[in-house]
Amino acid sequence: MLLSLSWRSLWRHRRRTLLTASSIGLSLALTVFFVALSDGFYGNLVQGVVRLEAGNLSVERPDYHDAPEAGLVVDGVPALRARLAAIPGVVGTKALVLADGVASGSSGGAAVRIVGVEPAVERAISPIARKLVAGAYLGAAGGRDVIVGAALARRLSLKVGARLVLTTGAASGDLAEQLFRVGGIFRTGSEELDGHLVQVPIDAARALLGLRPEQATRVGVLLADGHPEAAARAAVAAVAGAGLAVRTWQEVLPDLAAFIRVDTASNYGLDTMLLLLAGFTIFNTLLMSVLERRREFGVMMALGTTPRRVQAQVLVESALLAILACALGLLVGGGAAVLGGWLGIDVRSFASSGLDVGGFAIDPILRPHLSAALALGLTTTVLVAVVLMALVPIRSIPRIQPTEAMR
Amino acid sequence: MKESLVVLSDVTRDYGTGGAVTHALRGVSLEVGRGEFLAVAGPSGSGKTTLLNLVSGLDRPTAGSVVVDGRAVDRLDAAGAALLRRDRIGFVFQAYNLFPILTAAENAEYVLMLQGVPARERRDRVLPVLARVGLQGLADRFPGELSGGQQQRVAIARAIASEPALVLADEPTANLDSATSESLLELMAELNAERNVTFVFSTHDPRVMARARRLVVLRDGRIDQDGPPPAASAGHAA
Repeated sequence: MLLSLSWRSLWRHRRRTLLTASSIGLSLALTVFFVALSDGFYGNLVQGVVRLEAGNLSVERPDYHDAPEAGLVVDGVPALRARLAAIPGVVGTKALVLADGVASGSSGGAAVRIVGVEPAVERAISPIARKLVAGAYLGAAGGRDVIVGAALARRLSLKVGARLVLTTGAASGDLAEQLFRVGGIFRTGSEELDGHLVQVPIDAARALLGLRPEQATRVGVLLADGHPEAAARAAVAAVAGAGLAVRTWQEVLPDLAAFIRVDTASNYGLDTMLLLLAGFTIFNTLLMSVLERRREFGVMMALGTTPRRVQAQVLVESALLAILACALGLLVGGGAAVLGGWLGIDVRSFASSGLDVGGFAIDPILRPHLSAALALGLTTTVLVAVVLMALVPIRSIPRIQPTEAMR
Repeated sequence: MKESLVVLSDVTRDYGTGGAVTHALRGVSLEVGRGEFLAVAGPSGSGKTTLLNLVSGLDRPTAGSVVVDGRAVDRLDAAGAALLRRDRIGFVFQAYNLFPILTAAENAEYVLMLQGVPARERRDRVLPVLARVGLQGLADRFPGELSGGQQQRVAIARAIASEPALVLADEPTANLDSATSESLLELMAELNAERNVTFVFSTHDPRVMARARRLVVLRDGRIDQDGPPPAASAGHAA
C-alpha cells in the first residue's frame, strides 16, 4: 500500500509530475545521447588511428620513441608476429617501416612521412585504403607504386602515374633516394595525412632504408574490441622480450590521447552540470511538495504514522519519479543514440573541409555508441542524485507538529 | 467506576513564553473509564481540543501526567506516541481529513495498513465496518464522490476498523447538518454500546452534549462541570 500510496500521490498533480519527469528525463536523454556520441566519435577515431598507425600496442626498440632513427629496428619480425598472434585477444599484427623524408615531383619537393606498409594487411584494415579518390591502392609488397594524399599531390602537381622521388636517411646513416610512381591518391579530410603521408609497399620501404626483409620499425598488435589493454600489454611484453619496448597507442600518439582525455573530461563536466540542473528541478518539486502537504502529513501522524514512515513515503515517491524520468530519458536519449548509431549522423554540411582531430581524419558520418554500462551508469547516477536530493526536504518532516499542521 | 482507560492528573498546558503565556489547561484531573461515551464541552478557547491532543499524545503537558491504557503518554517521544495512536486510539476529525487519493475502503484500511495487516485481511475486516456505518456499496468511491456525512462515516470507519480502546472525536458534527449529525451520533452511540469502544468527543453543540452519557464542561482551562448531561439526567430521572 505504501507503493500504491506513493504512486497515487505522485499523480495528484499530474502536470507538475509530468513536467518534472520530462525535465529530468530530457537532461538524462541529452546526457546519454551526447556521451554516446562522444564515445562513438572517439571510439571511431581511436579505431581509425589504431588501424592507421601500429595498432593498439606497438613493439619497437626502446629508444625509438625519443629518437626515431632508421637504424632502430625490430629484428626477426615474422617469428615475433607468429608468437604475438597466439596471445588471447590479439586479432591481428602488422609490420611498419617508418621514416621522415622529402618527396620530389616535377614541380618541387615537400617534407613527408614515409610509411612502409604491407598492402594486403592495410587494404583490409587501414582507413586510407577506403579513401582513394584516384588510382588504386598499393599492389604487391615489393612494387614501386606509392599512394599520396590529395593535398601533397596538388602541391607537387602529381597525378596517378606520375614519377616521385623519395629521399630519406638510410639505416646506415647515408642519404638514400629512390624513384617511385604514384599509384593512387587519397583524401581523408585531415591536413596532416593528406599533405604529408606517403604509403609505400613495405619491401620497397625496406629497400629504400637498407633494412633486411625480417626487419621493421614497428610491429603493431591489434586487439579485439573491448579487450583489456593492460593484460594484453603484459602478455605482449613477455613475448617481445627485454630488448624491445611495448607502447600503447596513447604513448605513441600522446598529443591525440591528451586531446581525447581533455575533451572527454570537459564533456563529462558539461554532462554533470546538466544532471545537476535536473537535480535542482526535482529538489524544487520535492521541497514544494513537502511544504504543501504539511496538513496531510499531520493527519498521517495523528492517525499513527511514524515520522520515519512519512519520510519513507516521500522517498518512495521521489524514487518513483526518478524511475519514471529515467525511463523517459533512456527511451528518448538511448533511442536517439541507437538510431543515430544505426543510420549515422552526417555532419559534412557543418565541416566542409573534413573533420580532423590531432592530425587524424574523422569519418564525417558520426555514429553514437551506447553501451549498457554507460546507460546503466548514467541512470544510476540520476536515481542516486534524486534520492539524495529528496533527503534534504524530508529532513523537515519529523519537525512537523500534527496539531499545528492540521489547523 | 469502570476501569480507568484515561487518567489526567493535575494537567497544565501553557502556550507561549514570558508575558504572553496562554493557559490552555490549568490543573485538570480527569479519569475516563472503559466503555464511556463522554462529551467534552465548553466555549471556544476553553481547552477542549488541547485536552484531546494531550490524551492522544499529539501534544505534551507543561505539568502533570497523562496515562492512556496504562501508558504514560507524556513520556513518549514522537514515534512512540504515533505507535500508541496507531494501536490504541482512533481519531475522528471535524474536517474528516480523509486522503483524497484513497477510496473509502482504502481510507478505512489506513490504520490497519500501518499495523501491517495483510491486504486481504484488511479488506475482509473493513467491508463489514463500512456496511455497519451505512456505506455499503460505496467502498470504491473516492472522498470527493461522497457527501460530508458519508465522508465522516468513512472517518468513523477508519477510527474503529482497527478496534482501538479509545476513539477521540474533535467536534465530529461541526460541519454537518442537524439530521446528519443526529444519525452520526446515533451511530457512535451504537458502536459504543455494541463494541464497548470508549468515545471521547468535543463539542459545543447542546444537542450533541445531550447525547453523551457523561459531560465534562471546561471553562478557562478548568473543569467547570462533570456529570451526566442535563437532558440525560432528566432522561435517567424519568
